[in-house]
Order: sequence, then C-alpha cells, then structure tokens
Amino acid sequence: MPNIPHSPLQDGPAVTDADLAALLAGKEDVAPGLRPAADVLAALSAEPGPGELAGEARALAEFRRRAGAPAPRHRAHGTAGLSSRLSAKVAASAAAGAVVLGGAATAAYAGVLPAPIQRFAHDAIGAPNAPSAPHSPAPGKTVAPSGQLAPHGQPAASAKPHSPGRHSSRHGQGQQGTGQGQPGTGQGQPGTGQGQQGNGQGSPPGQGQPGDGQGQGQQGNGQGSPPGRGQPGDGQGRPGNGQGNPHAEGEHGNPHPRWQQGNPHPHAEQVPYRARHARPARHAPAMDT
Amino acid sequence: MISEDFASLLAAAQSGSEPAFSRLWRDANPPLLRYLRVIAPGAEEDIAAETWVQVVRGLRSFRGDEQAWRAWLFTTARRRAIDLARHRSRRPESPLDDVAVAQLPRTVDSAEVALEHLSTAAAIALVSALPRLQAEVILLRVVAGLDTESVARLLHKSPGAVRVATHRGLRRLAQRTADAGVTL
Repeated sequence: MPNIPHSPLQDGPAVTDADLAALLAGKEDVAPGLRPAADVLAALSAEPGPGELAGEARALAEFRRRAGAPAPRHRAHGTAGLSSRLSAKVAASAAAGAVVLGGAATAAYAGVLPAPIQRFAHDAIGAPNAPSAPHSPAPGKTVAPSGQLAPHGQPAASAKPHSPGRHSSRHGQGQQGTGQGQPGTGQGQPGTGQGQQGNGQGSPPGQGQPGDGQGQGQQGNGQGSPPGRGQPGDGQGRPGNGQGNPHAEGEHGNPHPRWQQGNPHPHAEQVPYRARHARPARHAPAMDT
Repeated sequence: MISEDFASLLAAAQSGSEPAFSRLWRDANPPLLRYLRVIAPGAEEDIAAETWVQVVRGLRSFRGDEQAWRAWLFTTARRRAIDLARHRSRRPESPLDDVAVAQLPRTVDSAEVALEHLSTAAAIALVSALPRLQAEVILLRVVAGLDTESVARLLHKSPGAVRVATHRGLRRLAQRTADAGVTL
C-alpha cells in the first residue's frame, strides 16, 4: 500500500469561493475559520503610519519643479508633432530629389544618357545633343573615317582605319594591318569609322583569312561586329596579317552600333606608333592559307 | 481610495495644483510602500520615490479613472523594482563572505512575528511568506484595490490565473493564521 503524504492544507478550514470573495471584499461576516485571515487583510489596509508619509516633501518638490514645465506633446492631442514629422519627410524627399536631379544633369552634360533622354536634356537644359545615328555603307564598300569611300580592294595607305581592335579580337577574326593604318580622326562623324582598310589581297568577300603577317601594309578589318553588339574601338589596331578581308565589314554588318556614335575613335590618338611603323606583326596569328 | 473626488483632484493636479497632488500622493503612497515591502524589501522607499518622479513627469498626459490611476502607479513601481533587482544581480554590493554572521538576517517564523507585533508590518510579513505570485496578487487586490483584470494586465497573467493564485494565497494565509492562532 503506498504511503501518500497528507497535505497539511487539508487540515485547514473548509473555505469556499464565496468565503474567499467575502474575505477579499473585507466583509465582517466571514466564516469563523477565516477570521484571522480577515484580520490580516484588514491590517494590510490600515491607516497609514507616519513613516509611510515621510516622502511627501520630496514628491511635492518634484511636482513643483515639473509644474512649470510645458505639457508634453501628445500624438493624439495636437498636430505639432505630426507637422514636424511631415516637415522632416518633405525635407528628406527634397534632398533625395535634388541628388537625383543633380546626378541626371551631370550625366546629361557628360553626354552619357540614352539618346532620347539626351535630346530632351539638350532641349531642356542645354546639355550636349545626342549624336545622330550613323549610316551604314553599302555592302562591299569601305568607308574611310573621313567619310570618303575607299577604293575597293585597294591597299589605301591613306585610308584611316577605324580602330577596330576590340571588334576584331572580340570575334576572333581578322587582324588589323600593322603598317597601313592611320589613326582615326576621332571626329565622331556619322558614317565614318566603319571602314576597315582592306588589303586587296583577293580574299573573297566575307572570308578574310589570316595571313602570314608579312607586313604588306594591308589592313584587315576583321569581321565587323553585328549591329548593336560591337564594342568601342580602342584605336589600337593589332598587327594583322595584312590579308584581311576588305569586304568583311560590309558583309558582316556595321561594327559601329548605334550606341557607339560620337567619337568612334576614342583612343585613336594613342595608336599612331603602331600605325606609323609598318612592321610585320610578330604575334599576328599566322595561318596558312 | 478617493472615489468620487478623484476626477476633480486629478484634473486639478494636472493643472498644477499642489494640494490636489498632495491628496493623490497621500492616498496612494502608503499602499505603494506596502506592496513594495513585499516585492522589493529594503528598497521600497527609493523605488517609491522614483515611481513618483516618473508619475509626475507623465501626470499631464494621463487619462483614466482611479482604477487606471492605481494600475499605472503600481505598474510603474513594479517595473522599477524589477529594474533594481536586475541591477543588483549584475552588481552585487558585497559578497556574503564579508558579512558578519551577526548581520545575517535571522530566519523567523512569520506567524511568530505577527503574534508579537500585531500590526500592519506583521500582516505584511505574513503575506510575504506566501509564494511570490500569491502574495503579489493578494496585495494588489487588497492593498492597491485593483480588480482581477487590472491585476492580470499588470502581472501579464490571465484573469483566471490571477483568480486561482488569489484563492490559493488566501487559503494558505488562512491556514497559517489558523494554525498559529494569529489575532491581529
């Protein structure tokens, strides 16, 4: 038989909830067994002793100090706080707008915005106008940067090569001739800078083959990047084999996509060393034809 | 409790009337101290003073009846007491090894104290011997005069839990006083 411990609370007076409610309410007619507890609760609510009122002077001093202070602003009782928060938001928005507009104006004057926006900026705030779209030469025609048609298939030493280093290298075809090329004019004229000097070596159009790099003063134009995919030329024509396909540009599209307008030879002025010295390309890919 | 005059007294105190505030203080400070003697023994006066400072700061923005007023007051005091307990637990003032044996608190029977003194302090000592929650709900119901719902909000308990704790505390208090033959 288990030995269950007997709770001492069970020996106490039988207390009902009604008795406890009467006890809490401070009623006099509580159960006889709850009389001591009622006396304890009554003592808890007794009149205050002198020690319990000793701190009045300190509290009153604090009250006096605070009585002259302005009432704290409450959110529900005034609009001052609301208006101040709104002012802060408006100020923050204005600052953000000023930063955005300033950046846009800077970009507009730098001429780096998209053409429609650039034109709008030109009309609105006098920013540089967006350049017009270049025209594409007819297939098979090479156009010198100056805008003059170069003789087809002729190693025109006077022709100014567009700096197609990236065009060519990007697509892995066609190398710039080393000695014939002249730096681009960098004039950014529409329709210029599209032509590559062909070497006139008889390569069939669109099939320029890398040559032997004999320095024949030919300038392959490489395979022009398709419209819209070209990269800005860096004006550093790479030595090629001199047997590039002079018609490749016309065959393969315009290496100067629309967004390249402006100065098609941004670094043309840095090129001339190689362009002036018609030396055979040492590192030109030599491919037996 | 002030009852009928509370609204006018509060309005006057909020307008800067010092006598009105004094009346409010004299009505509420004694039960506040008794409550704090149970939940923060030894620091009741400091906590009460800090509580009144905070109450004075927010007096003008207070809205509510006397029940809400007391609930605000005791809630503020309870938070102060909790903050003080946390502060003391982080920074104990003196280790027990440094305290002389004669200065250690003597464990006494609460009923014995009540029989000897038969006073409010004895009653507080009896209630303090109850479990913490039971003692607190009895004090808030009896001393602070709060109803069950207000006590539940103050203690972050459900009203049912407050009722249960109140009844258990009263039963235990009745048991102890009956056993000891306490007559106040």
